[in-house]
Amino acid sequence: MTMLLFGPELYFLLVALVLFFFSLRRTPKVKADHTVATVLALVGFLVAVACIGQKGELFFKAYRVDLFSQIFKAALALGLFLVFMISRNLAGIEERLHAEFYLFLTTCTLGMMMLVSSVELLTIYVSLELSSYSLYILVPMRRGDDIDVEAGIKYLFIGAVSSGFMLFGLSYIFGATHSTYLTDIIPKMPELLASPIGLVGVLLSLAGFFFKLSVFPFHFWAPDVYQGGANQVVTFIATASKAAAVALVLRIAALGAGAGYDFAQALVILSIISMTLGNLVAIIQKDFKRMLAYSSIAHAGYVLIGILAFNEAGYSSAVYYALAYLIMNFTVFMVLNEVARDGRDLKIAELAGLYHRSPLLSMSLILGIFALAGVPPSIGFTGKLLLFTSAMNQGYFLLVLIGAVNGTISLYYYLRVIYAAYFIKGEGLPPIQLSWPTKMLNYALCATILFFGVAPDSIIELARAAVRTVL
Amino acid sequence: MTEHLASFPYLSCMLLSPVVGLFILLFLKEHQRLAIRMVSLVAAGISFGLSIYTFVSYDKALGGLQFVEKYQWVKAFGITYFVGVEGMNAPLLLLTGIVIFTGVLTMWELQERVKEYFIFQLALVTGVFGVFMSYDMFFFFLFYEIAVVPMYILILIWGSTRKIYAAMKLTLYLMAGSGLIIPGILLLYSSSGLFTFNMLQLHAVQFSPWVQKLTFVLMYLGFGVLAGVWPFHTWSPVGHVAAPTAVSMLHAGVLMKLGSFAILRVAMYLCPQGFQYWAQFMGLLAATGIVYGVFVGLAQTDLKYVIGYSSVSHMGIVGLGLATGTVDGLNGAVFQMFAHGVMTALFFSAVGYIYDRTHTRDIHELGGFSKIMPVASAFFITAALCGAGVPGMASFWAELLVLIAAVKVFPIRGLFAIASLVIGALFALRVVQNTFFNEPNPKFTHFEDVSPFLGLPRMILIGFLIFFGLFPQVMVSMIKSSIVPFIQGM
Repeated sequence: MTMLLFGPELYFLLVALVLFFFSLRRTPKVKADHTVATVLALVGFLVAVACIGQKGELFFKAYRVDLFSQIFKAALALGLFLVFMISRNLAGIEERLHAEFYLFLTTCTLGMMMLVSSVELLTIYVSLELSSYSLYILVPMRRGDDIDVEAGIKYLFIGAVSSGFMLFGLSYIFGATHSTYLTDIIPKMPELLASPIGLVGVLLSLAGFFFKLSVFPFHFWAPDVYQGGANQVVTFIATASKAAAVALVLRIAALGAGAGYDFAQALVILSIISMTLGNLVAIIQKDFKRMLAYSSIAHAGYVLIGILAFNEAGYSSAVYYALAYLIMNFTVFMVLNEVARDGRDLKIAELAGLYHRSPLLSMSLILGIFALAGVPPSIGFTGKLLLFTSAMNQGYFLLVLIGAVNGTISLYYYLRVIYAAYFIKGEGLPPIQLSWPTKMLNYALCATILFFGVAPDSIIELARAAVRTVL
Repeated sequence: MTEHLASFPYLSCMLLSPVVGLFILLFLKEHQRLAIRMVSLVAAGISFGLSIYTFVSYDKALGGLQFVEKYQWVKAFGITYFVGVEGMNAPLLLLTGIVIFTGVLTMWELQERVKEYFIFQLALVTGVFGVFMSYDMFFFFLFYEIAVVPMYILILIWGSTRKIYAAMKLTLYLMAGSGLIIPGILLLYSSSGLFTFNMLQLHAVQFSPWVQKLTFVLMYLGFGVLAGVWPFHTWSPVGHVAAPTAVSMLHAGVLMKLGSFAILRVAMYLCPQGFQYWAQFMGLLAATGIVYGVFVGLAQTDLKYVIGYSSVSHMGIVGLGLATGTVDGLNGAVFQMFAHGVMTALFFSAVGYIYDRTHTRDIHELGGFSKIMPVASAFFITAALCGAGVPGMASFWAELLVLIAAVKVFPIRGLFAIASLVIGALFALRVVQNTFFNEPNPKFTHFEDVSPFLGLPRMILIGFLIFFGLFPQVMVSMIKSSIVPFIQGM
């Protein structure tokens, strides 16, 4: 029975095996593979949702299954399913590699699922590397010019460096506490944090996840990888991968909760620099994905605002924001994928005439972009306001002021996207035909963005129940 | 403040009617123009009818907050859906109803992207209704933003004259204002220690002086951007000129009032000591705005710019009234919000009609326009008379109340304001003369005058201006019923 606790992970392991056999075929069956993978991912999502109420510990208590981990597992499975949904037309990747694309995305999801359940330092590290290595392979998989290679190498190097930082930090924590179990470490932390070794240890341990979340100073890969990776891969990196990173930053940062001023100040500074840098540089971008990369750096800064409150309200708003970010960023990426059917990089100006080419897509785009910009009544607005509220309750007035001003700055480049889609005439461009699953997806995403923006209570209560197990 | 629960959710219906209309529109096809217009008109009409109903059936003797609806929304953060009507927001709800209803009628002739236009317009008006009726700061701010953002798209697609620049400028200015408002709201929320966004509960808290001073100035500047407070008004003439007719009507008529109403309702109500501290500053900016608006307006040759700058000066009167902090001043300020809203809507509606035909708003080009379109010209002239403060019009009483209060509290600023209003009135008459009573431009002689149906929205607006001009007591007693306890509570 205990293995049932491991249900979602086992399921995805099996899916990975199935997909592995697909990848052995000499002649690729593109359409069939896509259908099978999507259906399997959908079932995976349902499995993850069905397992949401499970509680227990596995593998000598290195692995904890609780509401917090199960919510993120469901979110990750949802992310994978959504990415498969929009991979029907994988123009960016050679046909013979399609099965590998599905395989590595599945193993990456598997790694991240294990990551959110890990409560032991080595398990965390191994799971993190499983998900990272899958992405290191996926990024350079793109067909075409050499930009993908540059992106792949950049991603690998910066990933390796941040892993190094992280291991170094973990070794400090282990050295000082003689344990790799978070449950053993947490009681010893308040004492340890008084000395530099504890503070440095926790901060460096966060590096690996700051890398995934693209927080300054581990953000350098984001623009190049976003631009250089295949659109679908980037969609996954920008959505599911971020959600997993938030989950782990929440877990590790909880170690520093007792540190008081110093640790929180470090996060405040990182948050402010990430927001401001991301938003300012995004203004001058012409490539849509690059702009979204810088916006993701800014959003990482927003999430940190909730984390550094170190209380239930802050943590639950960070969880809410992570889930919201998954949905809204995916919505924008979905539109990008549909417009750039041939897998090319999309310039913002190339959204021209989208309103005429597909009113439905332009509606999704407007909602997604407004949600990212924090305009009501969307999940982005509610999420941001909750983050600011929890930070203000801890007395971070200036941080909130800077965050709010950043919201205004970001609006400028978000509005340029809407300007392009609605206002620039796309002469002679054909209408975009959408298949019925894509249409349904569009409606579902729009409804989610609006509904949970206006009525966030259910999600917030769920998130509150979840974060109680972390703090 | 006493709260009287509603027997029927009138306010929610008023709020949701545009939302339902909006969703019906989503499922209509672009070419079903008549159906689109009818749905919008019915949705706006229901809200309009309900706003009249709440205005008429508000019990002034009973006072307090009536038609209250309260539901817990987000427990963890203390957010409640809390709406109600009192003497000071009933006129503004009525104003919104009037302007949206006449706005839909004004845009009856729109040909381009009709469906989307009405969708965004209904979204915008939902926000406006929401702000005026919300007593929970979260919802207040949520609706405030909903009211502000659709403007970008409305101006960008259906606007004219430098619309790209104007739309971006307007949106960034207003969002920068929001950037100041959020910290202000959250500072109150967190320093109250109550974990509630309910304004009435927050009002009971004695905030420390520095919190009040800081919050008040953040909110005053943030909301002041939307209220067109000098020197943050520069988006407004540009934006009003670029916006399509009904959007100008809504924006100058109603949206700018959101700003001044929020200063009254949130900033002054929750931070009375902050208000005392900054009142002189407010008075100074408001008086400067009045003088500045009048004189810059004089130099304009585009009719919409003339109105745009007159809005700055008239909103200055609202600001001056608020700054006095007296019963008469606040009373006049709220009355002026209503009167100026109806008057500006009429202004833009009249200019829009003329512009749609002639494609010019240049004063000299129009020349003797009253000989060509006497009825359309009459609408504009009526609005101009109202703007000049002619007795018998609603604005007269509003301005009178404010100026009396202002001269008592800030004698010199009050006199400056009066002087510039008199000069402004003189020049308003010059504008009317140049536009309508010179030699007619032969280019335009073939145009027909307003048909009775298209004249209807303008007639409604004039009707309200004159009704409240002749029976100001209806409005004054209404506003007073909430202003007197408001001042006592400060």
